[in-house]
Amino acid sequence: MGLIAGQLASSNHRMTGSHEYKLNQGPEDSISAVKFSPSTTQFLLVSSWDCTVRLYDVGSNTMRMKYQHTAPVLDCAFYDPTHSWSGGLDAQLKTHDLNTDQDTIVGTHEAPIRCVEYCPEVNVMVTGSWDRSVRLWDPRTPCNAGTFPQPDKVYTLSVAGDRLIVGTAGRRVLVWDLRNMGYVQQRRESSLKYQTRCIRAFPNKQGYVLSSIEGRVAVEYLDPSQEVQKKKYAFKCHRLKEDGIELVFPVNAISFHSVHNTFATGGSDGFVNIWDPFNKKRLCQFHRYPTSIASLSFNNDGTMLAIASSYMQERGDISHPEDSIFIRQVTDAETKPKST
Amino acid sequence: MAEGGEVEWELSKENIQPLRRGRAISALHQALSQRQDGLCSAINQQRQSFESELRMYDGDDPLDVWDRYIKWTEQTFPQGGKESNLTTLLERVVTRFTEEKKYHNDPRYVDLWIKFAESSLEPLDIYRYMQTQGIGVTQASFYIAWAEEHENQGSCLKADLVYQEGFRRSAEPHDKLLQFHKALQARVSRQVMMNMEEDDSDDEPKQPERVSLADLKHRGKKKAIAPVNRTGPAIKSVSGGLQSRGAPVLGNASNTRLVIFDENSAQSAGPSEPKQDPWMAPPTSRAKENEQRSERWCDVKMPQKTKFGHTVMAPPPPKPTFQPFVEESDQPPTMTPCKINPAVNTVLSTRKPCREETPLKRLQEHQQQQKEAESGKPPEQSMYCKETLLNGAAEFCFEELRAERYFKKMVQESRGVTCQKDQASAGAST
Repeated sequence: MGLIAGQLASSNHRMTGSHEYKLNQGPEDSISAVKFSPSTTQFLLVSSWDCTVRLYDVGSNTMRMKYQHTAPVLDCAFYDPTHSWSGGLDAQLKTHDLNTDQDTIVGTHEAPIRCVEYCPEVNVMVTGSWDRSVRLWDPRTPCNAGTFPQPDKVYTLSVAGDRLIVGTAGRRVLVWDLRNMGYVQQRRESSLKYQTRCIRAFPNKQGYVLSSIEGRVAVEYLDPSQEVQKKKYAFKCHRLKEDGIELVFPVNAISFHSVHNTFATGGSDGFVNIWDPFNKKRLCQFHRYPTSIASLSFNNDGTMLAIASSYMQERGDISHPEDSIFIRQVTDAETKPKST
Repeated sequence: MAEGGEVEWELSKENIQPLRRGRAISALHQALSQRQDGLCSAINQQRQSFESELRMYDGDDPLDVWDRYIKWTEQTFPQGGKESNLTTLLERVVTRFTEEKKYHNDPRYVDLWIKFAESSLEPLDIYRYMQTQGIGVTQASFYIAWAEEHENQGSCLKADLVYQEGFRRSAEPHDKLLQFHKALQARVSRQVMMNMEEDDSDDEPKQPERVSLADLKHRGKKKAIAPVNRTGPAIKSVSGGLQSRGAPVLGNASNTRLVIFDENSAQSAGPSEPKQDPWMAPPTSRAKENEQRSERWCDVKMPQKTKFGHTVMAPPPPKPTFQPFVEESDQPPTMTPCKINPAVNTVLSTRKPCREETPLKRLQEHQQQQKEAESGKPPEQSMYCKETLLNGAAEFCFEELRAERYFKKMVQESRGVTCQKDQASAGAST
């Protein structure tokens, strides 16, 4: 565990605000995902369209490692503090040992891999792909542990305890039980009218938040009983008024605060909002970032938020501000639900 | 081996939808052999590549991709059905190019319109719409399809008028139109010869009428909610049962010679036929069953019902002056209330009365919206390339489009590299 040694070296921050700084040596193309390490507050994994996955030491603001795929990488995830998993347009799933800097190709999908997640409860890696399937992978061997067809291309997925929530094209949402993948536990339709962009489960495992391509977010509960289902709701966000026209932006990223069960959303408007889902309140909005928010990640104790500000070509291949990753220290005032 | 394959397609012959252009036997074999394990990935890949081609196309003939995509879909899904997505595709393509005048008389586009019309519930409305929009008005195939539809619905006169219109607009190819028109004339004259005159004069295609032999009766304790008695013209044609329909024919003919009642010719029994009122409202969908047509109510009396369901003939007798003795324990039997909470019981529920939506209506709405969008600024603007994402039948996300651009670039680069290598080797060899 040579990496953990540098934990206290947290000095040379390039500050952009009082409690925010930009990461050095950022990716050369758009950022597809940022993920904090599950056990330390120090390490951040970043996948990018420049075909690399990079590991950053957030404390010392340095890039610790970088490895290559043969095509742009669409998602990455930590298995444990020393192993990362990643997949992308080359349809290959790779695991990388961050201590020894060694690559292993675990397997492939038939089409690009869109999402990679880890489920600690069942100890399984989950990948979702545009080939209309979800595959499970045993991270110890590592090998394929099953292929599960989905009704359409997988756009997003999230793990809630031993349950897997899959969002596909055609606005479909499927809830699987990772302990028994023989059948789909629940088939739902997104309560939003437009394409699903992102789904993230509550840390308390009771529900999930779903965001759509047209400035809306829905809060849903997994328990199918009517009592609980009554609590679900949706709201508009990431919209700007300009000359009397309402500009509606895609909501690309969601990340939950592990302690408070509040969540941050990021949109193509460049804003990051933090929401209190229980009191249905917005807790705060940060300043506007240079370009679209592509990905967000709270660290494990909820003191830092990684913000990937990166144009995702949602309006075509046009010129745009530089892609960058910001690390922001967040306070309880910004993330804790107001008790009153 | 080949024989085995032939047997296989023979076995599922009834599942294959007829196609005007016919089907490639190889495509049929492939489609039917894949049928067992559902949608195979090869089909999905092919579809995906068509979908991305639709979005990435930047030439000057976007209809070509659509045309190839739809032809592929027809060949790949011989059973038709929902998963083929054919109706959605047809609707999308005809909607997409309604504004493009250059396609209006393109044979491919007109063919797509005809397929769209044939797959819809009211083909005639769509042909009429095409005519007003000027789509296919110089194409013989349009008039042929329209006339055939009229003929199928039994009005050969109208079919003939359609052909006349085609000649007037000098639709091309003229020979084909002439040939089909002659065929129609031949069919009509054969029918006349066989004394099976069709009723051309009716504005609407005939609905098969049902004749009841006896009045409906309600059963059980529950009250009949709908009146079982028919009103207006329905009474006239129904009350007497079968005999009344034949009777006038018999009566007229009895003086001259005996006419054997023929149930097939009963349709032409004019006098007893209810006359239809002119249209007060636009036609509704004719896909519904058991629909009662609206009629004038002013001369119709709704029979009053008591709670036992008998028709009230006279006012009820006045109440007796004495109080009849009722034993205290003798409560009138009450209806057991419905225990199931309708909010909980969602197993079977009635379909919610939704707005009736036909493809044609959607099309018109689409045009309306476009006009509105042109006239005034839209209150909302989506901040992503919505048009490109929606340009197709399947859903696409930004990342897929970007991936498509990336792969295209990679192919070009690798081509460039090989070209350079070729040039370099050529240069070295000379």
